[in-house]
Amino acid sequence: MVNIMPGYHVTDCHVLVIGSGGAGCRAALEASQYGETMLLSRTLTGKGGCTVMAEGGYNAVLAEGDSTGLHFEDTMRGGAYLNNPDLVETLVSESPDRFRDLAAWGSVFDMEGDCVPAQRPFGGQRFNRTCYAGDRSGHEMIATLTEQIRNTKIRQVQETSAIDLLMDGHRVAGAITLDRDGNLGVVTADATILATGGGTRCYDISTNCAAGTGDGFALGYRAGATLIDMEMVQFHPTGAVYPPDSRGRLITEAVRGEGGVLKNNLGERFMERYDPERMELSTRDVVSRSITTEILEGRGTEHGGVYLDVTHLPAEEIERRLPIMLEQFLQFGVDIRVQPMEVAPTAHHLMGGLKITPDAATTLPGLFACGEVTGGIHGANRLGGNALADTQVFGKRAGEFAGKTPAATLTVDVDEILSTEAARCEAYCNGTTAPHVIARELKQTMWDNAGIFRTAEELNEAEVTISRLQNLVPKAVHRRMLNECCTVTNMLTVARLIIHGALLRKESRGAHVRSDIVQNWTPEDSPFGHTVQSIFGTSIEEKGEKA
Amino acid sequence: MNTITFTIERFDPDTDPASHTESYTVEINEGARVLDALHAVREQCDPTLAYRYCCGSGQCGSCSVRVDNEPVLACMHEAHDEMAVAPLNLPVEHDLMVEMESYLQDLAGITPGIFSGYLTMDANEAIRPIRDCIECLACVSECPAIAVADFAGPAAMRQEMRIALDPRDDRDRAALTVDEGLFTCTTCQRCLEVCPKHIAIPGKAIEKLREIAHREGLTLPRHQAVADMVRSSGRTVDRIMGTVLEQVAEVIEPVGEVRGEVGFFVGCMYNSRLPETAMKMLAVLRRNGIRVIIPPEQVCCGSPLIRTGQTDYLPSLQRTNIECFTSRGIDTVLTMCAGCGSTLKNDYDTPYRVIDINELIAEYGIEPPVSSSVPMTYHDPCHLKRGQGITEEPRALLRMLTDDFREMPARCCGAGGGVRSGLPDVAANLGRDRREEIAKTGAAACVTSCPFCEFHIAEHSDVPVINITTLLFEAYEKMDEESGVDPGWKDLPCRIINPKTAE
Repeated sequence: MVNIMPGYHVTDCHVLVIGSGGAGCRAALEASQYGETMLLSRTLTGKGGCTVMAEGGYNAVLAEGDSTGLHFEDTMRGGAYLNNPDLVETLVSESPDRFRDLAAWGSVFDMEGDCVPAQRPFGGQRFNRTCYAGDRSGHEMIATLTEQIRNTKIRQVQETSAIDLLMDGHRVAGAITLDRDGNLGVVTADATILATGGGTRCYDISTNCAAGTGDGFALGYRAGATLIDMEMVQFHPTGAVYPPDSRGRLITEAVRGEGGVLKNNLGERFMERYDPERMELSTRDVVSRSITTEILEGRGTEHGGVYLDVTHLPAEEIERRLPIMLEQFLQFGVDIRVQPMEVAPTAHHLMGGLKITPDAATTLPGLFACGEVTGGIHGANRLGGNALADTQVFGKRAGEFAGKTPAATLTVDVDEILSTEAARCEAYCNGTTAPHVIARELKQTMWDNAGIFRTAEELNEAEVTISRLQNLVPKAVHRRMLNECCTVTNMLTVARLIIHGALLRKESRGAHVRSDIVQNWTPEDSPFGHTVQSIFGTSIEEKGEKA
Repeated sequence: MNTITFTIERFDPDTDPASHTESYTVEINEGARVLDALHAVREQCDPTLAYRYCCGSGQCGSCSVRVDNEPVLACMHEAHDEMAVAPLNLPVEHDLMVEMESYLQDLAGITPGIFSGYLTMDANEAIRPIRDCIECLACVSECPAIAVADFAGPAAMRQEMRIALDPRDDRDRAALTVDEGLFTCTTCQRCLEVCPKHIAIPGKAIEKLREIAHREGLTLPRHQAVADMVRSSGRTVDRIMGTVLEQVAEVIEPVGEVRGEVGFFVGCMYNSRLPETAMKMLAVLRRNGIRVIIPPEQVCCGSPLIRTGQTDYLPSLQRTNIECFTSRGIDTVLTMCAGCGSTLKNDYDTPYRVIDINELIAEYGIEPPVSSSVPMTYHDPCHLKRGQGITEEPRALLRMLTDDFREMPARCCGAGGGVRSGLPDVAANLGRDRREEIAKTGAAACVTSCPFCEFHIAEHSDVPVINITTLLFEAYEKMDEESGVDPGWKDLPCRIINPKTAE
């Protein structure tokens, strides 16, 4: 019998930040100006999340000739006009200042002249707007942010997960935590920020890090928060296809930004047929569908992808601008200076998430959210380079407005809540099925039935599978596995939210394509708005009404 | 699917008094990484296996482990049958997880607000080469200086240099790093060897910080004395015996057919402290048909100055050492000192090819020597193994010289980077570590190929330390004794100091 009796403890802070990726680190830095701030990471600070592995860059209007108006239009158009315009306005107008914050803290982005940041072209944008540090832009940001965090008094609690939000009536008052040894704990806070990142690990083929399991969506949902547009899953056009265990690993859009071309097995530059104007630098949804169509119609490569080729570029340019791509492919026996890469779409980003205001407030008092766990900024398709900007703009705002939250008094019995959580853990100890077995089937059904092209029939099939899996109890053979059990439970919740959103949205828009539905409207005059889901109900907004 | 069997070093702090090794057999996909194999163990054998990982693409630095004793990122290194997976050489928390938090927390950041603009191109270019660190701590776990001295370690030094180069920070990093043990680093380059991002910490951080320290007058007194000596005499050591350059003629013709011709860069240590060793090497080449030209005006290569950050006098040394060979039309220059060889190859832009004696022997081939039955081990000089990538050539030679060659782990002996002269206690601690490793092999002699290692290990070892070419020389002597034939290869032509004064 496994000992699960929790040696729990309760700690208090003014602001609790859950998640230490780009958004969480930025939020914590801001919040720490207002009071005691705790940064909770399920990994070591800065080593988790997808920011550290983000390659391409950060969109900011810096250069003469560009304007926030243009950035706004590109983002709205790229997002198939499902974006919340207020959030987009905030994103484009504050992104340059947040980039300057990073510079003030010591970031080393590439320069094209003395004190002039270099900017590269990215898909769906009419201006070279993407700032970068080679192809390790996100790493540069995380390095900068963690250095600053080490300079502050922020309390870092590492390798500890939040497994539920702590509810005091309707107010979010902190979180229940589980450390890596399986010990429960409670953190109470005046304000709580969810910055847990994305969740495309729910798909068999994904670019996300191991922490991209969507826990924040599930935590917010269980607590009663409203989520929007969960069906909007971005499939990045270019993920690795070989060897099998590396499928899905991100091949940065910067490869195409620097001039990489896509070819099928006949040597055709097939983007000519799908978007002759923008070619390889069309939006991600379009390029992903084009690649998938080529593969499905038999023009794919040996390993089930298409070719992405930079061999026409000078070797030294590849070495300088794409060093990580070069190094990674060399590790797998491919020299991209002389050989083409093989690529295929891979689940990359959840555009949907917790509904927020421009102040990063969710629909629950005391709960703020920033980064990929939020919805509404990127609409139905995110532009490359907007995610890193999003983490900084809304990370800062979440930290600021959470920091300004007045002190609150706890009225709930923490012991009672802990005994409920302990019972949940006890149930996992008596579970039925290894968590990785549940996760594997979940990922497969999501990839097969809720992928790039969707039908009601397949989505229903996925739902049946998810329901069956939700009836299994993940088994922890040791209390150190309790985290994994909580995570797979959360993944099932996220999968269900994606499927429900996809069933609710009876149209094709951006990344969401219903091949079983014929529509006679363009995204701009779609009769539909956001899909809205919470434990209190689900709906889709229709024109002229708000959910 | 492939089936592999491999071992993992396990440790559970709740139940295990010490770590132990377990063997696992798992099914993995073609091309699987070490991390995939660890996942397979957790899914197929033991769900309690503890290890860190996150990004899966070599960017977060969570998953470094040792595979067959070399640190790697588990997510990037290919798994193979019979591999041995172990945690880094840091305090183990649980199985493959080591304590990283406290080290990471102490890494410095810039002080914001002093100057907050974007960088100039120059500042950007200067910082770039040392900015890619993913804080995996492979370097820290392998650093020999950390083990014996109060040293903040390679990752911290890299970060300090990155900040020192940043105009947005104005603290005095060099003074700080001197307190953090800047001068305890032996520049053995083990950190560079294990860095998954190939960051040249010794050359691009340590030596550069020492340059700043030098400008601020923080150079260690003994290092300063060496620099003074070089400035006044062109040499790092004083004259206490007849040197090679004083004794040997400028051109040494081989006995028999001429198979090759090289210039010889003697180096301060062989010239003035170990001239016998150098002359035995010259005799070996004479026997093997190599013509050697030794320009007498050559001076110190400057390595001790570069390693200790005193580089202002370096260009003049470089000029002399390049011209003395090019003016004689020499296109290949031989070194037998690992440090000089590494310096000429890496810190010079020579118009001639530089070749180490071990490379030369492997390239030209030699008369096979008689082998002995004495058990011998080999110490890899850092400046030969990591500075020049030479490891196989001396081993091949040694296997010709003994029937009983025994390996020991390659680790810095402590003599490099100015540590032996500047901080003798630190150097002695590392030297004692070598003694223990040599003793473990049971070898009766330790063979090496670097004057600093020879000198330093000899002070600490219980068994004789022999230069590899001396061993070869002795084998030829023995052959001559047995055959009773001596073709005169040992009699090197003497130098005529100055014909006019001699008259």
